[in-house]
Amino acid sequence: MSRLHCPFCGPRELREFRFHKTLPTEPGTAFAGIYERIDNPELSVEHWQHVEGCRGWLRVTRNPSSGAVLETRLLGGGVA
Amino acid sequence: MRHYSAWSLLRARLAGNSHWQPLWSGQSLQQAYDVVVVGAGGHGLATAFHLARDHGIKRVAVLEKRLVGYGNVGRNTTIVRSNYLLPENHYFYEDSLRRYETLSRDLNYNVMYSPRGVVDLALSDDDFPGLARRGNALRLAGIDAELMNISALERFCPELEPRRSRRFPILGALVQRRGGTVRHDAVAWGYARAASALGVDIIEDCEVTGVRTRGEVATGVETNRGYVQAERIAFATAGHTGMIGTMLGVPLPIETHLLQAMVSEPVKPLLHTVLVYVAPGHAETYICQSDRGGLVMGGHLDGFPSYTREGQWDRLEDVVQGAVELLPQVGALRILRQWAGTNDMTMDGSPIIDRLRYDNVFVNAGWCYGGFKAIPASGAACARFVATGTAPDLIKAFRLSRFATGHLLDERGGGPFPARQ
Ligand SMILES: Cc1cc2nc3c(=O)[nH]c(=O)nc-3n(C[C@H](O)[C@H](O)[C@H](O)COP(=O)(O)OP(=O)(O)OC[C@H]3O[C@@H](n4cnc5c(N)ncnc54)[C@H](O)[C@@H]3O)c2cc1C
Ligand SMILES: [Zn+2]
Repeated sequence: MSRLHCPFCGPRELREFRFHKTLPTEPGTAFAGIYERIDNPELSVEHWQHVEGCRGWLRVTRNPSSGAVLETRLLGGGVA
Repeated sequence: MRHYSAWSLLRARLAGNSHWQPLWSGQSLQQAYDVVVVGAGGHGLATAFHLARDHGIKRVAVLEKRLVGYGNVGRNTTIVRSNYLLPENHYFYEDSLRRYETLSRDLNYNVMYSPRGVVDLALSDDDFPGLARRGNALRLAGIDAELMNISALERFCPELEPRRSRRFPILGALVQRRGGTVRHDAVAWGYARAASALGVDIIEDCEVTGVRTRGEVATGVETNRGYVQAERIAFATAGHTGMIGTMLGVPLPIETHLLQAMVSEPVKPLLHTVLVYVAPGHAETYICQSDRGGLVMGGHLDGFPSYTREGQWDRLEDVVQGAVELLPQVGALRILRQWAGTNDMTMDGSPIIDRLRYDNVFVNAGWCYGGFKAIPASGAACARFVATGTAPDLIKAFRLSRFATGHLLDERGGGPFPARQ
């Protein structure tokens, strides 16, 4: 994995983006949402920001075992 | 096990070095054990060794899905120290450092403990009070720490040329002289050899894929080589502990992140100590020179969850930049090798040693990027916990429930972000 596809800016070097956090894969309490993880080596849903580009917030779905990016969406449903 | 000594070396030399025995060999997987330890990294092997030596537990197996030393115990940058800020951490790591001081003798295997000093550099006015606070906390606990001004640092580490002009000034350092390096492979091999001499079965190519239970007790583990019955099970699976939680259906405060390191071509002595610092504009950098002469360099995590063991190029670049800005001569060296390991990053950056869902299942994990230095203390304490059912005081704070009760051990005070611990 060396690039992310920003819905606004297109494919860009990974270094332009900053990883923020993983999102829980299953619904749970607020405590679980912050502190607990059920590891899925094939699926990770994350918040990233395109800090050195449009600064848009992204929801990225990845496979952390292969490094493949499965989906990149703009958070909050802006136009893109 | 053949005892190693100067005499045995000489005798082997005279015999043309043809009589060396494998360090351990030939154990076969049995159907039942008193304790099954999962993972032949440093923590698993040390736990097994102490179970057999200190608690007289006869039937112990260490099941390893790959090879002894294939995991992080063979991938780390070999730095040992006990200069943590929080008491729960520094007493524990001090216990570990003391054990490292005598480990070669205890295992009858040279682990090459080299107390060359760990130097945390202050590069800004903000760094200095932070280091002073840490140093004072350590001295109050009776652990060695020296706050050095630039003149003292110049005497301790002249090759650093602290007064030379660079992009940033060096103001001083916090130094732990007993900190330093230990040969990582030797720790794995030494524990494996000593444990197997005590009758521990070390089984490679044996992956644990599930836990069989009856009611509220675990009865054994499923492996790719069949079912193995166990009275007690201890997971010491480091970067794969997240998957163990998933296997048992227990959510864990752990994410899996990559850490990279690299080594340069070997050169003559250039740096006699371990340097740790955060150069302005970069993440952390740490450098030391291996006994073979290569400069071993590492930095911070790749920054997002990963199981790939590949590593991002820009992280390497950042480490090299940090290194060259401090020691320009490093710029003339070529990089020989780069590698990565998967780290069990916890939500507060501190380890977890506790029961996991069942009364007879234990987990020893969450070592983040700093668990090599913890191996001797963790092995002894974890073995005691597994053998007696009671966690020794030294590791009580590492319980899993601390995340729910708010008793976090967050050295940096950075919050529940494993990528930034
Ligand atoms: C690049 C890098 C640099 C580091 N630098 C330092 C440092 O300078 N100082 C320091 O103190 N720490 C450092 N660390 C951290 C340290 O290496 C680790 O915290 C520590 O080694 C982890 O414990 P371990 O040795 O038991 O892990 P490992 O050696 O990873 O052992 C875990 C074992 O479990 C096995 N396993 C996993 N799942 C299963 C299963 N289902 N069945 C059977 N076996 C299984 C794995 O194959 C592996 O061999 C560094 C780590 C990295 C990656
Ligand atoms: Zn963008």
